[in-house]
Amino acid sequence: MAIDNEPTQTATPPPVERLAYSIEEAAQMLGINYHSIYRLIQRGKLKACRALRGKLLISRDELLKLVKSE
Amino acid sequence: MNHHQKPTVQQEQAAVEVKTAFAEHLNQFNASCDAVRDIEGNQSAIANDAFKSALLSRDQNKTIQTDDGTEWRHDLDLSKISSVCHRRIAGQIEFAVVESLSLKPGTEMKEVLNRGDNVREVLQGFIRDQRQVLRLWKEDLNAQVKEHLAEKYPGQDMSLVADSFEYKITQAISETYVHAQSQSHGMRV
Repeated sequence: MAIDNEPTQTATPPPVERLAYSIEEAAQMLGINYHSIYRLIQRGKLKACRALRGKLLISRDELLKLVKSE
Repeated sequence: MNHHQKPTVQQEQAAVEVKTAFAEHLNQFNASCDAVRDIEGNQSAIANDAFKSALLSRDQNKTIQTDDGTEWRHDLDLSKISSVCHRRIAGQIEFAVVESLSLKPGTEMKEVLNRGDNVREVLQGFIRDQRQVLRLWKEDLNAQVKEHLAEKYPGQDMSLVADSFEYKITQAISETYVHAQSQSHGMRV
Protein backbone atom coordinates (compact mmCIF):
# COMPACT_ATOMS: atom_id res chain seq x y z
CA MET A 1 0.00 0.00 0.00
CA ALA A 2 1.10 3.52 -0.76
CA ILE A 3 0.59 4.49 2.84
CA ASP A 4 3.54 2.32 3.88
CA ASN A 5 5.89 4.73 2.09
CA GLU A 6 4.57 7.88 3.74
CA PRO A 7 6.73 9.35 6.49
CA THR A 8 5.48 8.93 10.05
CA GLN A 9 4.02 12.19 11.40
CA THR A 10 5.80 12.75 14.72
CA ALA A 11 6.23 16.54 14.54
CA THR A 12 4.88 18.45 17.55
CA PRO A 13 1.81 20.58 16.86
CA PRO A 14 2.44 24.34 16.52
CA PRO A 15 1.96 26.32 19.75
CA VAL A 16 -1.57 27.61 20.15
CA GLU A 17 -1.77 31.38 20.39
CA ARG A 18 -3.42 32.52 23.59
CA LEU A 19 -6.55 34.63 23.29
CA ALA A 20 -6.10 36.53 26.54
CA TYR A 21 -3.46 37.23 29.17
CA SER A 22 -3.41 38.00 32.87
CA ILE A 23 -2.11 41.31 34.23
CA GLU A 24 1.24 39.69 35.10
CA GLU A 25 1.65 38.24 31.64
CA ALA A 26 0.65 41.50 29.96
CA ALA A 27 3.10 43.44 32.14
CA GLN A 28 5.87 41.05 31.22
CA MET A 29 5.06 41.21 27.51
CA LEU A 30 5.02 45.02 27.47
CA GLY A 31 8.02 45.33 29.79
CA ILE A 32 6.24 47.51 32.35
CA ASN A 33 5.16 47.06 35.98
CA TYR A 34 1.71 46.00 37.19
CA HIS A 35 0.78 49.53 38.21
CA SER A 36 1.31 50.79 34.67
CA ILE A 37 -0.96 48.05 33.29
CA TYR A 38 -3.75 49.00 35.71
CA ARG A 39 -3.20 52.66 34.83
CA LEU A 40 -3.61 51.88 31.13
CA ILE A 41 -6.85 50.02 31.91
CA GLN A 42 -8.14 52.83 34.13
CA ARG A 43 -7.47 55.36 31.34
CA GLY A 44 -9.17 53.19 28.74
CA LYS A 45 -5.94 52.63 26.81
CA LEU A 46 -6.22 48.90 27.35
CA LYS A 47 -9.60 47.20 27.45
CA ALA A 48 -9.82 44.37 29.95
CA CYS A 49 -12.54 41.81 30.49
CA ARG A 50 -13.39 39.89 33.63
CA ALA A 51 -13.06 36.12 33.94
CA LEU A 52 -15.56 34.00 35.85
CA ARG A 53 -14.34 34.96 39.33
CA GLY A 54 -13.76 38.61 38.42
CA LYS A 55 -10.08 38.42 37.52
CA LEU A 56 -9.04 40.85 34.77
CA LEU A 57 -7.84 39.51 31.45
CA ILE A 58 -6.48 41.40 28.46
CA SER A 59 -7.00 40.07 24.99
CA ARG A 60 -4.07 39.48 22.69
CA ASP A 61 -5.65 41.85 20.14
CA GLU A 62 -5.75 44.66 22.73
CA LEU A 63 -2.07 44.23 23.53
CA LEU A 64 -1.14 44.23 19.84
CA LYS A 65 -3.33 47.26 19.22
CA LEU A 66 -1.61 49.21 21.99
CA VAL A 67 1.88 48.43 20.75
CA LYS A 68 0.97 49.17 17.13
CA SER A 69 -0.80 52.43 17.94
CA GLU A 70 2.31 53.94 19.54
CA MET B 1 -17.59 30.26 58.49
CA ASN B 2 -17.17 31.99 61.81
CA HIS B 3 -14.25 34.36 61.27
CA HIS B 4 -13.61 34.63 64.99
CA GLN B 5 -12.60 30.99 64.99
CA LYS B 6 -8.95 30.09 65.02
CA PRO B 7 -7.75 29.22 61.49
CA THR B 8 -7.12 25.57 60.80
CA VAL B 9 -3.63 24.32 60.03
CA GLN B 10 -4.59 24.05 56.36
CA GLN B 11 -5.89 27.62 56.29
CA GLU B 12 -2.67 28.84 57.87
CA GLN B 13 -0.66 26.95 55.26
CA ALA B 14 -2.85 28.37 52.51
CA ALA B 15 -2.31 31.90 53.85
CA VAL B 16 1.48 31.44 53.72
CA GLU B 17 1.22 29.94 50.25
CA VAL B 18 -0.92 32.84 48.98
CA LYS B 19 1.53 35.35 50.44
CA THR B 20 4.35 33.66 48.53
CA ALA B 21 2.39 33.26 45.30
CA PHE B 22 1.39 36.94 45.28
CA ALA B 23 4.59 38.33 46.75
CA GLU B 24 5.49 40.34 43.65
CA HIS B 25 1.98 41.77 43.41
CA LEU B 26 2.03 42.72 47.09
CA ASN B 27 5.46 44.33 46.81
CA GLN B 28 4.42 46.42 43.82
CA PHE B 29 1.03 47.24 45.34
CA ASN B 30 2.53 48.44 48.63
CA ALA B 31 5.19 50.44 46.75
CA SER B 32 2.47 52.13 44.69
CA CYS B 33 0.44 52.92 47.81
CA ASP B 34 3.56 54.48 49.34
CA ALA B 35 4.22 56.51 46.20
CA VAL B 36 0.65 57.86 46.12
CA ARG B 37 0.88 58.60 49.85
CA ASP B 38 4.08 60.57 49.33
CA ILE B 39 2.54 62.65 46.56
CA GLU B 40 -0.64 63.21 48.57
CA GLY B 41 1.27 64.16 51.68
CA ASN B 42 3.51 66.59 49.81
CA GLN B 43 1.06 67.92 47.27
CA SER B 44 1.23 71.50 48.56
CA ALA B 45 5.02 71.55 48.38
CA ILE B 46 4.99 69.87 44.98
CA ALA B 47 2.44 72.37 43.67
CA ASN B 48 4.52 75.28 45.03
CA ASP B 49 7.72 73.96 43.49
CA ALA B 50 6.06 73.33 40.13
CA PHE B 51 4.50 76.79 40.14
CA LYS B 52 7.85 78.43 40.96
CA SER B 53 9.60 76.38 38.29
CA ALA B 54 7.04 77.44 35.71
CA LEU B 55 7.28 81.12 36.69
CA LEU B 56 11.05 81.21 36.68
CA SER B 57 11.67 79.01 33.69
CA ARG B 58 12.40 80.43 30.33
CA ASP B 59 13.94 78.04 27.85
CA GLN B 60 16.24 76.09 30.12
CA ASN B 61 13.72 73.42 31.19
CA LYS B 62 13.70 70.16 29.25
CA THR B 63 11.10 70.01 26.48
CA ILE B 64 8.70 67.08 26.26
CA GLN B 65 6.50 66.55 23.23
CA THR B 66 3.44 64.45 24.04
CA ASP B 67 1.64 62.10 21.66
CA ASP B 68 -1.09 64.69 21.01
CA GLY B 69 1.56 66.98 19.51
CA THR B 70 1.70 69.54 22.32
CA GLU B 71 5.01 70.67 23.75
CA TRP B 72 5.64 70.98 27.48
CA ARG B 73 8.42 72.21 29.71
CA HIS B 74 9.43 69.81 32.46
CA ASP B 75 9.10 71.18 36.01
CA LEU B 76 9.58 68.21 38.36
CA ASP B 77 9.30 64.45 38.55
CA LEU B 78 6.48 62.76 40.45
CA SER B 79 7.84 59.29 39.77
CA LYS B 80 10.16 57.55 37.33
CA ILE B 81 7.55 57.85 34.60
CA SER B 82 5.37 60.85 35.48
CA SER B 83 6.24 64.49 35.83
CA VAL B 84 4.65 67.89 36.27
CA CYS B 85 5.12 70.08 33.22
CA HIS B 86 3.83 73.42 31.96
CA ARG B 87 3.40 75.38 28.76
CA ARG B 88 2.55 79.00 28.05
CA ILE B 89 -0.49 79.73 25.94
CA ALA B 90 -1.83 83.23 25.32
CA GLY B 91 0.01 84.65 28.33
CA GLN B 92 -1.34 81.95 30.66
CA ILE B 93 0.44 78.97 32.15
CA GLU B 94 -1.14 75.55 31.65
CA PHE B 95 0.07 72.70 33.86
CA ALA B 96 -0.03 69.00 33.14
CA VAL B 97 1.01 65.67 34.56
CA VAL B 98 2.78 63.87 31.72
CA GLU B 99 3.54 60.17 31.69
CA SER B 100 6.35 58.67 29.62
CA LEU B 101 5.97 54.93 29.33
CA SER B 102 8.43 52.76 27.42
CA LEU B 103 6.79 49.66 26.00
CA LYS B 104 8.30 46.58 24.42
CA PRO B 105 9.34 46.39 21.64
CA GLY B 106 10.90 49.82 21.69
CA THR B 107 7.83 52.07 21.60
CA GLU B 108 7.16 54.98 23.90
CA MET B 109 3.93 56.62 25.04
CA LYS B 110 4.06 60.24 26.15
CA GLU B 111 0.65 61.16 27.39
CA VAL B 112 -0.97 64.07 29.19
CA LEU B 113 -2.82 62.54 32.14
CA ASN B 114 -4.23 65.66 33.77
CA ARG B 115 -4.10 69.29 32.73
CA GLY B 116 -5.36 72.71 33.81
CA ASP B 117 -4.31 76.22 34.80
CA ASN B 118 -4.31 75.45 38.53
CA VAL B 119 -1.38 73.21 39.39
CA ARG B 120 -2.91 72.12 42.69
CA GLU B 121 -6.10 70.97 40.96
CA VAL B 122 -4.05 69.17 38.33
CA LEU B 123 -2.23 67.31 41.10
CA GLN B 124 -5.49 66.52 42.89
CA GLY B 125 -6.90 65.08 39.67
CA PHE B 126 -3.79 62.96 39.27
CA ILE B 127 -4.06 61.67 42.86
CA ARG B 128 -7.78 60.89 42.37
CA ASP B 129 -6.91 58.84 39.28
CA GLN B 130 -4.18 57.03 41.17
CA ARG B 131 -6.70 56.08 43.87
CA GLN B 132 -8.98 54.61 41.20
CA VAL B 133 -6.05 52.63 39.86
CA LEU B 134 -5.32 51.27 43.35
CA ARG B 135 -8.98 50.30 43.81
CA LEU B 136 -9.03 48.52 40.44
CA TRP B 137 -5.81 46.75 41.37
CA LYS B 138 -7.22 45.75 44.76
CA GLU B 139 -10.39 44.29 43.21
CA ASP B 140 -8.40 42.32 40.67
CA LEU B 141 -5.94 41.08 43.26
CA ASN B 142 -8.78 39.84 45.48
CA ALA B 143 -10.35 38.05 42.52
CA GLN B 144 -7.00 36.47 41.64
CA VAL B 145 -6.50 35.25 45.21
CA LYS B 146 -10.01 33.75 45.32
CA GLU B 147 -9.42 31.98 42.02
CA HIS B 148 -6.05 30.73 43.21
CA LEU B 149 -7.53 29.34 46.44
CA ALA B 150 -10.48 27.72 44.64
CA GLU B 151 -8.13 25.97 42.23
CA LYS B 152 -5.56 24.95 44.81
CA TYR B 153 -7.99 23.91 47.56
CA PRO B 154 -11.14 22.74 45.75
CA GLY B 155 -14.20 22.20 47.91
CA GLN B 156 -12.57 23.70 51.02
CA ASP B 157 -13.64 26.84 52.77
CA MET B 158 -10.78 29.30 52.36
CA SER B 159 -12.88 32.43 52.82
CA LEU B 160 -10.95 33.28 55.98
CA VAL B 161 -7.70 33.33 54.00
CA ALA B 162 -9.24 35.41 51.18
CA ASP B 163 -10.82 37.85 53.66
CA SER B 164 -7.59 38.23 55.57
CA PHE B 165 -5.73 39.04 52.33
CA GLU B 166 -8.41 41.52 51.30
CA TYR B 167 -8.26 43.21 54.70
CA LYS B 168 -4.50 43.63 54.39
CA ILE B 169 -4.59 45.37 51.02
CA THR B 170 -7.66 47.44 51.92
CA GLN B 171 -5.73 48.65 54.93
CA ALA B 172 -2.78 49.65 52.73
CA ILE B 173 -5.06 51.91 50.68
CA SER B 174 -6.87 53.27 53.74
CA GLU B 175 -3.61 54.13 55.46
CA THR B 176 -2.62 56.05 52.35
CA TYR B 177 -5.83 58.05 52.55
CA VAL B 178 -5.70 58.73 56.31
CA HIS B 179 -2.04 59.72 56.10
CA ALA B 180 -2.74 62.10 53.22
CA GLN B 181 -5.64 63.70 55.03
CA SER B 182 -3.51 64.42 58.10
CA GLN B 183 -0.60 65.67 56.00
CA SER B 184 -2.56 68.01 53.75
CA HIS B 185 -4.85 69.39 56.44
CA GLY B 186 -4.58 73.15 56.68
CA MET B 187 -2.03 73.50 53.89
CA ARG B 188 -2.64 75.81 51.00
CA VAL B 189 -0.83 76.81 47.87
